[in-house]
Amino acid sequence: MKNVLYNLGYFLKEAKKIIQLNLLSNIFSFLGTGLILFMLAMVVCGWSIGNRLVEMLQKEAEINAYFQEGTDEQDALKLVETIKNIEGVSDAVLIDEAEAFRRMEEVLGEEAYILDLFEDNPFEAYIEVRIHLDDIDTILEEVKNLDGIDYVRDNREVLDRIQSITEGLKYLGYLIFAAVGITTLVIVSHMIRQGIYNNRDQINTLRLLGAPNSFIGFPFVLVGMLLTLGGGILSAVLIVVLINMGYGQMSGTLPFIPLPPRDELISGLLILIMSTSIILGLAGSLFGLSSIKNTGNNGQ
Amino acid sequence: MIEAKGVSLRYRDGTLALKDVNLEVSPGELVYITGPSGSGKTSLLKLLMGMEYPTSGSLSVLGQAMTKDDPRKIRKLRRLIGPVFQEFKLIKGRSAMENVLMGMRFLGISPKQMKENARNALIRVGLEHKMLSRVENLSWGEAQRVAIARAVARKPLLILADEPTGNLDHDNALNILDLLTSFKDKNTTVIITTHATHLIEGQSDATFVKVREGNISVERRAKFSEKCFV
Repeated sequence: MKNVLYNLGYFLKEAKKIIQLNLLSNIFSFLGTGLILFMLAMVVCGWSIGNRLVEMLQKEAEINAYFQEGTDEQDALKLVETIKNIEGVSDAVLIDEAEAFRRMEEVLGEEAYILDLFEDNPFEAYIEVRIHLDDIDTILEEVKNLDGIDYVRDNREVLDRIQSITEGLKYLGYLIFAAVGITTLVIVSHMIRQGIYNNRDQINTLRLLGAPNSFIGFPFVLVGMLLTLGGGILSAVLIVVLINMGYGQMSGTLPFIPLPPRDELISGLLILIMSTSIILGLAGSLFGLSSIKNTGNNGQ
Repeated sequence: MIEAKGVSLRYRDGTLALKDVNLEVSPGELVYITGPSGSGKTSLLKLLMGMEYPTSGSLSVLGQAMTKDDPRKIRKLRRLIGPVFQEFKLIKGRSAMENVLMGMRFLGISPKQMKENARNALIRVGLEHKMLSRVENLSWGEAQRVAIARAVARKPLLILADEPTGNLDHDNALNILDLLTSFKDKNTTVIITTHATHLIEGQSDATFVKVREGNISVERRAKFSEKCFV
């Protein structure tokens, strides 16, 4: 530790020299690492948005129960009370024909004029049931079997699809994470090996003078860390720009997609990218350093 | 300081470089290892540096048994040695000062002390005006002096110089030998290999190890040319 502190300036100078010795390759490694980490950040970003969407939809999970013909308002209200008592139901509200019409007007917005084509209100009354998504199967079964209920409509298909897309994104994320890890390790360790090879005479001399491997290897570890940290910073800048652009676009054109808070998403991604780049830089360097043992023939 | 008992060294290709070497060197001795090219001088020095290990017999340097078993111990031992390599092994692209500093950076010496040691060593070898010159811009003799400065700045217990007079004219060779021998003191042993025996013929107060085809003979000369043979 004392040696590291005494020689910090020397180690940084050595790292700079090692990078300069193979400048073009190091620049490409830095760019490559940056783009790989950027890809990882994009997938995590998509996964995070998908998760948020599913969460929101799960919170909003509801089914609509429609009445059999001839059910009057009193019977309907009784059914509402009965449904409220079913386990897993958080709320049940009677939506009459007028309210159903109003809601559809809201949904259609500027296109609502098409409703004027109907002579009468085409919508029927129903019970809007808010549920816990985990209990959907049992609730559906119980509601369907109630006297006075004709059929039940649920949005399960949509939920299932979004959930499967998010799951897919999650697995894609794992896959990309593994790819990023392996690729970065290979790039960094290759650059370190190259640096060791280029500096083999110096390494051999240092060994003959009695320098420990930790002292010889430290500048190479620094190089690996600098390469991946640089790549991390590059990808962080790119992803911040992309998120800001994306949020700007989506808030205007797709306002109903529940995006996670921007700052929260950015800070989470920055932490992920930087910590991943540091860990991969360190691991890649140490992996590359294993070749130092074979450098020179006088260096036991 | 150095104790070799029945040491032999056979290289992987089967060449027998040293045969049954017995040698004792005490602290503060000046030792010349002489012999023609290919006689085994450098092999003996390699054994002392831990660059090769005896294939038979036992060797200890500064109390450390020279075996393959623990490379870390050999690395630690090397920190007590000041080597001057035949081809210098200076690091190109660095100044004379940086090269001398390089030999001390892992010894736990404070930066201030390191710089002082390096400066003093470079002044002692007569390179105070070339401290910041890159080593590739130095002459052969100057580069050799940098290598000597690097070795002595570490304040080693043992200085090992391999053919320091090679490629030098008579006067410069004598100057280098004088410089190297001047570092001998009661704690510091200096071992020099050379095939230029004419340069050390009149030398006293030294031990002469003659190597011929892997065999050695040792002659100790006391001060005032008093001779005794071992």
